[in-house]
Amino acid sequence: MLIPASGTGQYLANSVKAIRFAARGCTNRPFYHIVVTEVKRDQVDPVIEQVGTYDPIPNEYNEKLCSLNFERIKHWIGNGARVSNPVRELLGLAGFYPIHPRTYMTSWRNRKKLEDEINSQEAEQENDK
Amino acid sequence: MFRIINNLKNLSLDISPVVTDTFNVISVRWRRNPRKPIWKGTAKSKIFRVPPRPNIPEEERLEITRLYNKYRTEVKSINNYLTSKYNVENQQEDDKDLKQKQFEADLAACMKLNDEWNAKQKILREARTAAELQDLIKLAQEKKLITLEKRSQRLKEAEEIVKEQKELSKHFILPEMLDAEIEKSLANPVDHNFALDKEGNRIIGRETRPPLDKKVEKIRQ
Repeated sequence: MLIPASGTGQYLANSVKAIRFAARGCTNRPFYHIVVTEVKRDQVDPVIEQVGTYDPIPNEYNEKLCSLNFERIKHWIGNGARVSNPVRELLGLAGFYPIHPRTYMTSWRNRKKLEDEINSQEAEQENDK
Repeated sequence: MFRIINNLKNLSLDISPVVTDTFNVISVRWRRNPRKPIWKGTAKSKIFRVPPRPNIPEEERLEITRLYNKYRTEVKSINNYLTSKYNVENQQEDDKDLKQKQFEADLAACMKLNDEWNAKQKILREARTAAELQDLIKLAQEKKLITLEKRSQRLKEAEEIVKEQKELSKHFILPEMLDAEIEKSLANPVDHNFALDKEGNRIIGRETRPPLDKKVEKIRQ
């Protein structure tokens, strides 16, 4: 008997819950469920509830697909569930939370890297002349 | 196995019922803690390794701090709002009497609607059943006609057979005729034997010789 995605995890009323990723892919194919579980539980354990999915590999239209059940996320955050950083980043991009600082950091670092590359290429070209 | 242990872990404390399904076992793809045991210590090659410190410029550090401070404040306010709106403890208790009244009113409205529909359906149903009955009666009558026809047909066939047998019975040997018939057949023995000559002629009779003028049949042309 497989455990349904909606969640069959057993939990205590007053334990600490978390909204986080649970890796559900296979070798060379990452895929994540966004789940509500007890913080102490392992990611292979049955979850309390699944509230979304995240596919980090871009599809043919260069989109990383992500689904979120905002009603349930609101409910669980309202009832004291913690949210992990990667999920916070996603929620930020989705417009539920403010944009996470790490998103800004990644973007400006990427930008800087790109600029450096371009500058170095230009310098090389000038040297060749 | 892990799953069963996990299920048992919360046995006494849990809210939701524990599933005592012994077949609820799934092969887990990875080990729970896929790291080496803690007593193994640091690997020999890594003992003197010093991980490089992150080199973050002062300007960037200040920016990150600012962003995080802002982010935390905003998230906190959102969380507080969600808590006030969705937390179970903050939910107002339902007025049971009011709820019961609402339920009854809803039920009454539903029942009224249902009765109307039933009345409409009754008319339709009665008309339909009457039509169906008529159809059935018609069908039965047709069937009856077919059956009667079949029966008369069968009777006719039987009579024909009887007629035939009656015709045939003229040649029957009856007990009183038996002696005479025996006498007759003894007096006229029939020889069924025959021989074939080279031309394929059939020569009837056991004792017959070819030149004698017995009956000779040509069977092969």
